[in-house]
Amino acid sequence: MGNDKFINIAVAESSIIIRTGITNVLKKLPGLRPQLIEMASADGLQNYMRAKPVDLLIVNPAFGGHFDIAGFRKKAEAKDTKAIALLSTFIDNSVLANYDGNISIFDGPETISEKINEVISGPEQDDEEKTDTLSQREKDIVIRIVKGMTNKEIADDLFLSVHTVITHRRNISRKLQIHSVSGLTIYAIVNKLVELKDIRHQIG
Amino acid sequence: MNMIRSYGPYDKMMDLIGSNYALLQVMNRFGIPLGLGEQTVEEACMNYGVHCPTFIAVMNFVSEGSSRLDENMENISVPALIGYLRNTHSYFLDFYFPLIKDKLTEAIPASPDGMKTLILKCFDDYASLVRKHMESEEDTVFAYAGSLLDGECPDGYEISTFSKHHDQVGEKLTEFKNILIKYCPSNSDNNLLNSALLDIYYSEEGLDTHCRVEDLLFVPAIQRLEKTVAEKRRTAENGK
Repeated sequence: MGNDKFINIAVAESSIIIRTGITNVLKKLPGLRPQLIEMASADGLQNYMRAKPVDLLIVNPAFGGHFDIAGFRKKAEAKDTKAIALLSTFIDNSVLANYDGNISIFDGPETISEKINEVISGPEQDDEEKTDTLSQREKDIVIRIVKGMTNKEIADDLFLSVHTVITHRRNISRKLQIHSVSGLTIYAIVNKLVELKDIRHQIG
Repeated sequence: MNMIRSYGPYDKMMDLIGSNYALLQVMNRFGIPLGLGEQTVEEACMNYGVHCPTFIAVMNFVSEGSSRLDENMENISVPALIGYLRNTHSYFLDFYFPLIKDKLTEAIPASPDGMKTLILKCFDDYASLVRKHMESEEDTVFAYAGSLLDGECPDGYEISTFSKHHDQVGEKLTEFKNILIKYCPSNSDNNLLNSALLDIYYSEEGLDTHCRVEDLLFVPAIQRLEKTVAEKRRTAENGK
């Protein structure tokens, strides 16, 4: 799931050959939809990060002479940024300890993909979380959403708290990858959860 | 290989387009028409009143895959870039989305379960999200850039406020596209439906590129402008 998730990746490497190379590999990784920014200088990186948060920084530890990863970590704009070291030569382990992971220029696509996933999403989620079929309770809620009921009305109708309804809605959107009522309506019709007459108000 | 080589003012327009058709869109949105014969970039820009360095900067940015942040872009004209971004907005909202909707309307047959109406309504919903996103950009960000250009420095707003929350507008279409792929009626006109889908894929990419032009060309240009205006203000205050 989540194969359309955008993630903002900055590649900081002064060699254009390596930089373009890794960018092209990342573009082709399945299940990842990266927004890639190539950085050729440390100043560029700093200016960019001031304007926009970066989810993942892939950086040559020798970027700009020596990349100050410890200093980078302390910056407010980098607090949610993960950092992966990009290795083209041997680098001392004490340096690598400051990074969340590392990729060698000799790694294959599968290895790179695994390493990135590990850094971004942490340990594998359990299978329960990954299922994208709706539970009966979630279907009940979908039916009421597409009939045009508010969260409060749904909560009262199903004897739930509004908070619980909102949690269900969030899970429904995640499972189906649909965030709009009109999209949910299509899902509900196709899966015969509702009939046309139930949703007349939407079609007008 | 067009990855490495950058275009300059003396390249022929034809060679640019020939090497990368994505540049057709750039040309179009800068208001340069086709049928240019042997004209070079510089000549075409002059003939159509286009700010040549900005045009070249966007051309190179797009042709290099829209991912490179280049700090040496001092010669970009902010008004020209805003004009380009506005034209891009209107290309999608006023031309491309209606075109897609027409194709969908024709491709999907009417049926008793109301699917056709629902799908079209769904498309309208997503298209209006994109519209809202773009309109708010024009009202806040472009307006802010305008006042910076006038030498004013509005308090309480910085371009980074915008850029930090600048989400990927293409994502909204992705969701609609997935709905269409999963749930469209199987008795649709498949050639036409495919063509509409390909248009949506193309829009996603186009909007993606558009966002990158905003993030990597426009925002840095505004940051530079902010600096200049702030410096001028400081000098003025010190002079008092």
